[in-house]
Amino acid sequence: MTNMAEKLKAEAPLLGTELTTGRRGPGSPQKSGRLRHKTREQKSRTINIVVYGVLVVLVFALLVPFFWMISSSLKENNQVLTVPIQWIPQEFVWSNYTEIWTRIPMMGYLQNSLYLAVIITCLQVLTGSLAAYGFSKVRFPGRDVLFLAYIGTIAVPWQAYMVPQYIMMQQLGLTNSFTSLILLQAFGAFGVFLMRQYYMTIPDELCEAARIDGLSEYGIWARVILPLSKPALASLALLTFVNTWNDYMGPFIYLTSNRLWTVQLGLRSFVGQFDAEYAMIMTGSVISVVPILIIFLIGQRYFIQGIATSGMKG
Amino acid sequence: MTTETTTQATAPLLGRGNRKQARRNALIGWSFILPNFLGFLAFTLIPVLAAFALSFMEWDSFSAPKWVGLENFQRMLGSDSFWIALRNTLLYALGHVPLTMGLALVLAMLLNRKLKGIGFFRVAIFFPYITSLVAVAVVWNMLFSPETGPINQFLQTVGVANPPGWTSSSDWALPAVIITSVWRDMGYYMILYLAGLQAVPAELYEAAEVDGANAWQRFWNVTIPSLRPTTFFVLVMLTVSSFKVFDLIVVMTDGGPGRSTTVLSQLIYQEGIGEGKFGYSSAISLVLFLIVLTVTVLQFKIQQRRER
Amino acid sequence: MKRRTLTAIALALSAGFGLSACAGAAGPADNAGAQDGKTTLSVSVWNYEGTPEFKALFDAYEAANPGINIEPVDILADDYPQKVTTMLAGGDTTDVLTMKNVIDYSRYANNGQLQEINDVVDTVGKDKLAGIDAFDLDGKYFAAPYRQDFWLLYYNKDMFKAAGIADPTDLTWDQYADIAKKLSTTKDGKKVYGTYQHTWRSVVQAISAAQNDADQNSGEYGFMKDQYNTALDLQTSGATLPYGTAKSQKTSYRTMFETGQAAMMPMGTWYIAGILEAKKAGKTDVNWGLAPMPQKTADGEITTFGSPTAFAVNKNAKHSDEAKKFIQWAAGAEGAKAISAIGVVPALQDASVTEAYFTLDGMATDELSKKAFSPDKTALEMPVSDKSAATDTILNQEHDLIMVGEKSVDDAITEMDKRVKKEVLNQ
Repeated sequence: MTNMAEKLKAEAPLLGTELTTGRRGPGSPQKSGRLRHKTREQKSRTINIVVYGVLVVLVFALLVPFFWMISSSLKENNQVLTVPIQWIPQEFVWSNYTEIWTRIPMMGYLQNSLYLAVIITCLQVLTGSLAAYGFSKVRFPGRDVLFLAYIGTIAVPWQAYMVPQYIMMQQLGLTNSFTSLILLQAFGAFGVFLMRQYYMTIPDELCEAARIDGLSEYGIWARVILPLSKPALASLALLTFVNTWNDYMGPFIYLTSNRLWTVQLGLRSFVGQFDAEYAMIMTGSVISVVPILIIFLIGQRYFIQGIATSGMKG
Repeated sequence: MTTETTTQATAPLLGRGNRKQARRNALIGWSFILPNFLGFLAFTLIPVLAAFALSFMEWDSFSAPKWVGLENFQRMLGSDSFWIALRNTLLYALGHVPLTMGLALVLAMLLNRKLKGIGFFRVAIFFPYITSLVAVAVVWNMLFSPETGPINQFLQTVGVANPPGWTSSSDWALPAVIITSVWRDMGYYMILYLAGLQAVPAELYEAAEVDGANAWQRFWNVTIPSLRPTTFFVLVMLTVSSFKVFDLIVVMTDGGPGRSTTVLSQLIYQEGIGEGKFGYSSAISLVLFLIVLTVTVLQFKIQQRRER
Repeated sequence: MKRRTLTAIALALSAGFGLSACAGAAGPADNAGAQDGKTTLSVSVWNYEGTPEFKALFDAYEAANPGINIEPVDILADDYPQKVTTMLAGGDTTDVLTMKNVIDYSRYANNGQLQEINDVVDTVGKDKLAGIDAFDLDGKYFAAPYRQDFWLLYYNKDMFKAAGIADPTDLTWDQYADIAKKLSTTKDGKKVYGTYQHTWRSVVQAISAAQNDADQNSGEYGFMKDQYNTALDLQTSGATLPYGTAKSQKTSYRTMFETGQAAMMPMGTWYIAGILEAKKAGKTDVNWGLAPMPQKTADGEITTFGSPTAFAVNKNAKHSDEAKKFIQWAAGAEGAKAISAIGVVPALQDASVTEAYFTLDGMATDELSKKAFSPDKTALEMPVSDKSAATDTILNQEHDLIMVGEKSVDDAITEMDKRVKKEVLNQ
């Protein structure tokens, strides 16, 4: 499918320059004289070392709370919130990690969360990128007003309209089901907005060339635009997944039956009326980060390969 | 209201001006938008409009709503809590938006390269966003601790005689919250910038280099303009999320000390579902919505002017 | 490549929707409806797993009534009232609603969301139910309490013995502060506090309202002054963990007491069940005892505060009669027996119940603990009124400012008076 985009670029040589890619930015090796090439490489190596240094320091600063989370997950509950803070557990309570699976139906909660996050992410990416094409590449009256309505609703805090929304869902008989949450979260404005902004950076001449080539609008979307927007699709999918995975209030209001609960609800069930089992909460939080990590490691590859695979070698 | 498409790129579609063509375009456009729009209309837009209507009524969520006109707004304007929350929200946004945006961009530039283990670093920078909020609150509050916290100890060693009280002081709690939230959110927006950077054509850099532009000039003249749509998106999303900030504040300071970090969405939650004054809480959210909309439209205009 | 991705998405979607028919992986499907001809009674509860009293009640009731199957509607404890409010707004049909506190009770009852159950209350006996007055709305009762928590003083017997201090019988607040200061030391490089006053405003405000016979919705808060001075004195002298630290570090009162970091702790009776459980599991070896709350004057009268937990019948209940029967049972002697067996204090006041309570495994059985268990007067933590929620917010904010030392006691009390009068009482 990527061939289509390449073919188009070949047909429109003037555009070629704008669309070809390679790795970019300072520090990436470029084709030029051999001598220049060499100094360039040395320079980029020193830059890389500096970047590494900065990153290592930064990562340390960013991971401190996460470290506390792991350390707390290995403590007895009454050792977690001590004053002063205790970084290394006095004794390592590994049993938290075996206990949590029996204390709450953690596996089931993980499955529910995964199910919701995958469906919502797929729908959000699919309908979002479709709508974004309509908002950025097709011109029709009322388009911009409609788009503003989309952005506008992002600005309204959910706390303000969750009760009217719930009453509506109740009347449709959809509360206490995954369907309600999917319907609520899959059609948000976030995906439309994100994808639209990315499509704006793709030159319209490309669509034009494809039209001349006889592609329908749907064909252009599927065969030209989508392949070019992999980085944006990846970031949309990633962020939607994470937001759905970590959502608490939505599932809390809409999922009543325990068997429908997600991980975030499951973890909150360790919070009692007067106290909370923080060791268990941290154990569960560490476990619930794992799926996100996997998704992230898969998704982040697109941030370098994005257009590079679809472009011509420069 | 026109979007930047009109000034930016949208190429004329086949046979513009032709009525039939225009109708066809509308059909095509709507067919793309419809799948998302139907869901959006039914489950977001209608409830939002219902909430706006409620702002002119008195409603406890049990009995039928009662029309009260502008009473909710009058009450709001006369309430100290509203003004304090509004002030805090604005200050929070003023600190949070530029800092997060700048840092996210810098991080994205740093991480947009092929290095060994770059995947690890990208994940690490995203980590604060997926770390449990309780952990974030406990650890940052410890760092900010007035007497024993590392931050104040550092400040004292560099010669600050009276370091701030951070989360236990009315004046410094908000800056402390802003610092924590920037730390937490920059990885999130870094992802968006990282995606945006993929769309910057390498040839522009090469051309700039041939022209003898240095790294800074390349950044300023190539990267920044190419990222404009992404920046607009990040700016709007950041503004919106700053105005809606809730979770972090609840966990970190719960609006305290006193009311020094209460924000509007807390007030909306408290008055609405907390006390059952849904009309009043809707009125506050309508005001919040109008503020954000104004800011967004302003950003829109500024962006358009730049492009001209 | 693209086509493959699209196919994958399509597959994932169809698989997903196919699944949603039998969705819900975290347990068996609800067995709603008649099962073996049984009536299913739904009861809203919070944190079902972590609040064993519910299971104890339901199991015992099902055993006594074979025709009934109780289905708990499990809601997270943190945001329980918010969820119940939303559910009721949507016309939910859960039969029995548990009232977590009296503020919510007044809201639901005043809005006509609950059924009147005077006959249930009369059958159980008004004079026997602690805290029943709170539920009286112009002679009508819309809920019946089954549990009554009140505050007392937990203390670490070993630490008292080691310091040569007598057990805290009939303390005044001044004596309490003196003992707390004496017991504060540093042990193995770690600070040990004489007492731990948790961050909740009730620790200062509700107790002083109770002992001064004052109303927290009155808009006059001068009565809190002495109590605040005591609290601040404890803090500045290092006899308790500073409020700012406790709040920002989300200090757990259980940690403070169970790890021996605090020798005394004013706290509610709900903690008895918690500490019994922790000792049983070997997670703490604290040698604990109960004492009455310190008083204004040592006249032998014990005044404390507490709050009842009650069951109510939803206006839209599917099984109103069964619901009422259940409440009558739960608030009565049978229900009291079931929950006191796991260390929860029932609302029903009955000598035999109290006696049974002190035979619990691991319970402190000395005379002082028993005395602590029967205070002379238990005031309500917060009055039943539609003003309480708004007042609560204001009092919380000013409490915060006093305790972190941002405002003097006098200034904050003036501010409380002013704000409650203006924002809540509309004076």
